[in-house]
Amino acid sequence: MERFIDLSLSAIMLAGLYATMAYGLGLIYGVLRVVNLAHGGVIMAGAYLGWVLFERWGIDPYLALPLVIVASFGLGILMYRLLVRHLPRGPAGGPASLLLLFGTWLVLRNVAYLLFTGNDQSIRTSYSTASVPFLGTYVSVNRLAVLGVAVILPILLQLLLKKTYTGRAIRAVAQNADSCTLVGVDVERIYALTFGIGTALAGVAGLLSATIFSFNPGFGSGELLKSFVVVVLGGLGSILGVGLAAFILAVVEVFAILVLPSYLTSAVGFVMLVLVLVLRPGGLFGHRVLG
Amino acid sequence: MSAATPALVPLRVAAGFVVGVALLAVAPWILDFTPYSHNLVTLAFLLISGAVAWNWMGGFLGQVSFGHAALFGMGGFVSARLLLSGPVPAPLAWLVGGLVAGVFSLGAHPALRLRGPYFSIATIGLGESVRLIFTYWEDFTGGSSGLSLPIDPDMKHQLYWWGLGLAAIVVGMSWLMRHSTFGLQLLAIKADVDAAGDVGVSATFYQDLVFVLSGAVVGVSGGLYASYFSFIEPNDMFGFDRSIAFVLMTVIGGVGTILGPVLGAIVFVLLRQYLLASYPDLYLGLYGTLLIFIILFEPLGLAGLLGRLARLARSWRAPAAEGGTP
Amino acid sequence: MTAPLLSVRALSKSFGGLRALDAVDLELAAGEILGVIGPNGAGKTTLFSLIAGSLQPTSGQVHFEGRPVTGRAAHRLVRGGIVRTHQIVRPFANLTVLENVTVAALHGNRRADVPARYRAPRVLDFVGLADRAGQFPGLLTLAGRKRLELARALATIPRVLLLDEVIAGVNPTEAVALAALVRRIRDELGTSIIMIEHVMPAVMSLSDRVLVLDHGRKIAQGTPAEVVRDPGVIEAYLGTSTEATAP
Repeated sequence: MERFIDLSLSAIMLAGLYATMAYGLGLIYGVLRVVNLAHGGVIMAGAYLGWVLFERWGIDPYLALPLVIVASFGLGILMYRLLVRHLPRGPAGGPASLLLLFGTWLVLRNVAYLLFTGNDQSIRTSYSTASVPFLGTYVSVNRLAVLGVAVILPILLQLLLKKTYTGRAIRAVAQNADSCTLVGVDVERIYALTFGIGTALAGVAGLLSATIFSFNPGFGSGELLKSFVVVVLGGLGSILGVGLAAFILAVVEVFAILVLPSYLTSAVGFVMLVLVLVLRPGGLFGHRVLG
Repeated sequence: MSAATPALVPLRVAAGFVVGVALLAVAPWILDFTPYSHNLVTLAFLLISGAVAWNWMGGFLGQVSFGHAALFGMGGFVSARLLLSGPVPAPLAWLVGGLVAGVFSLGAHPALRLRGPYFSIATIGLGESVRLIFTYWEDFTGGSSGLSLPIDPDMKHQLYWWGLGLAAIVVGMSWLMRHSTFGLQLLAIKADVDAAGDVGVSATFYQDLVFVLSGAVVGVSGGLYASYFSFIEPNDMFGFDRSIAFVLMTVIGGVGTILGPVLGAIVFVLLRQYLLASYPDLYLGLYGTLLIFIILFEPLGLAGLLGRLARLARSWRAPAAEGGTP
Repeated sequence: MTAPLLSVRALSKSFGGLRALDAVDLELAAGEILGVIGPNGAGKTTLFSLIAGSLQPTSGQVHFEGRPVTGRAAHRLVRGGIVRTHQIVRPFANLTVLENVTVAALHGNRRADVPARYRAPRVLDFVGLADRAGQFPGLLTLAGRKRLELARALATIPRVLLLDEVIAGVNPTEAVALAALVRRIRDELGTSIIMIEHVMPAVMSLSDRVLVLDHGRKIAQGTPAEVVRDPGVIEAYLGTSTEATAP
């Protein structure tokens, strides 16, 4: 029973993390129709940024959050302005955008490798091992904090999309970019902003992951695939859909430990990805874009 | 030019092809290759075959696969197992490896009806699943310690011509595909899969067929590769980096063209041998940067660049000729 | 009475809660041109997608030459002899005009006597694009691309041709020429045609019979003269007197 509660709690925490990553990927796809293959690279970059801030300047990862958000937002704007903007739009841009962003990911990985070598790192704070009693077991304080951030952030984002002018413009562009141009929305600016917000979420997800898992420059490929699973499964209709999909993935992953030999548990995400794609092919994100 | 004319091979193309292959076949004697360059060219032939086969899928059909290592590894391990099992002639083992890989590619059938990014990401998932399964299937792949084949210097020497033969066949197939009604249908599917269906082209059938062909060729090249290195290890053979290599070679050379993957594979081998031996830390970033520049500035890669240069040369000569005859 | 070439029984399609097509019946005789008209969103294109196999019907049947073909995939129906065109033309941009038609000529009717590579130039000639064979579709005018769309469909040697607004959107001169081309397809090739069209003069003069859809239902059917007098049709197009004043 304790084990069950333990696993459930890890599943909930993981779900929060997955939802944050997936929301960034899904937002960019929903608005720009581009799958950001560099998503994993940005997650990795966020992890390293948090690590540097903590190791060099002793800035607590949770205090570093705003810094990481700003930095990864800037990285996203840069990626959009320098690269993504120049791609052909529409179906012709499909393979091109995949390859371009894939190249970006390789560059990010290489930069991280040059700066930090390939060694595994992690952020170990004074409270990393602290835990509080809960239903007969113990919950890590850090994991609770991760969950807190992962819950608050998407909600803030949803408020931004629903209540502000910019947010409404983003949703309108997702529906129909051409009409937005006609009514005077600066679509280029919206694209850049959206890309920035998407990568900012990836950066945050990276920072949060870094407080729990160890990472190296190759970190992020599994995270990209998991984000994709969540987006495909949950659609872009609502925060709830994404949250639920993230929870399903996390539960399947965590409880696979009970039934599968340990070496196969890492394949669970991949198999789920393929199943989800095959069972829900076609306009997977398309129908209810940011409704 | 027109693919609608009967697919007879023009004499000039056929003659050029035969002469080129013949020259390469006698090159080791004429150029007096050192064992090092002999092996290097052999490796290039193996990679050319893989890149050209990847291009059928990624270039002609427009389905970018990030999972071809699964097929490469399959071909490699099946033929290695056969070679270890008894006195099996190597070419037979390679062929069987290719056939198994071809059949194995049908496992991706459900993913083949996905288009664009969905397909690509599904192939990442499939490829990684296959890698994990085979890495832990020690009875077959030897796990992380891999499989060692008996080292046979004669075989390694001969692989030059086997590799050349495979590359020649595959490049020839590529030309025929591109210049036949078969290739036309692949390009139609690439342009608009629904419209292709509306005029009677069965996208599912062609994608399956091309994927099997591509998988079989990549499988054969995996088998040759196993014989070439005499040692294979699942994390390398099935690894994501190997899948990426197919993508990189083809995109650098020119996706969707016939010569592109050939050029790309050559550049890939040269970069890896000369430049990256001195700067191993820059290997990923260099390829990433190349990829970015090619996508932004010359989507047809080196083949497109050469085409551009040729046109430039012609336009330089043409006005000069006019000016010369008043 | 001879059996119809194509018959559609109680064909329906729902998208979620929306009933896009509601129990529509129609019959098409050999050599007939049937016009399909109706306001935007009446379900015309959905009807085509269901017959041509691009969409699966929720219920109902389609029979072609007396055999059930309901829900069969588009590329298989093309081989049987049913082909459609699209309102928004979709040429293969990376292929030349001739190659576009060649792809289509490779499939389609198995009874074809002429090999594909010879058939394609003939079809281009028939639709008046022979001099554009080597160009890429991007260089054609809209009317040219509509002709290409027709040529691609004709290259499959269809018995039933479903034309989705092949005339709408081009200038009046070209509209007349395209209408004449549609008539020649029926008269010279003997192809039966169902055409969705907004250009009323064209559809009224070309059609033997006209079917009117509104909100997914068939509200009238008959000769063009009968249909224009039908009160239900007039109401569907003009709205009731109170609605007619609404913007």
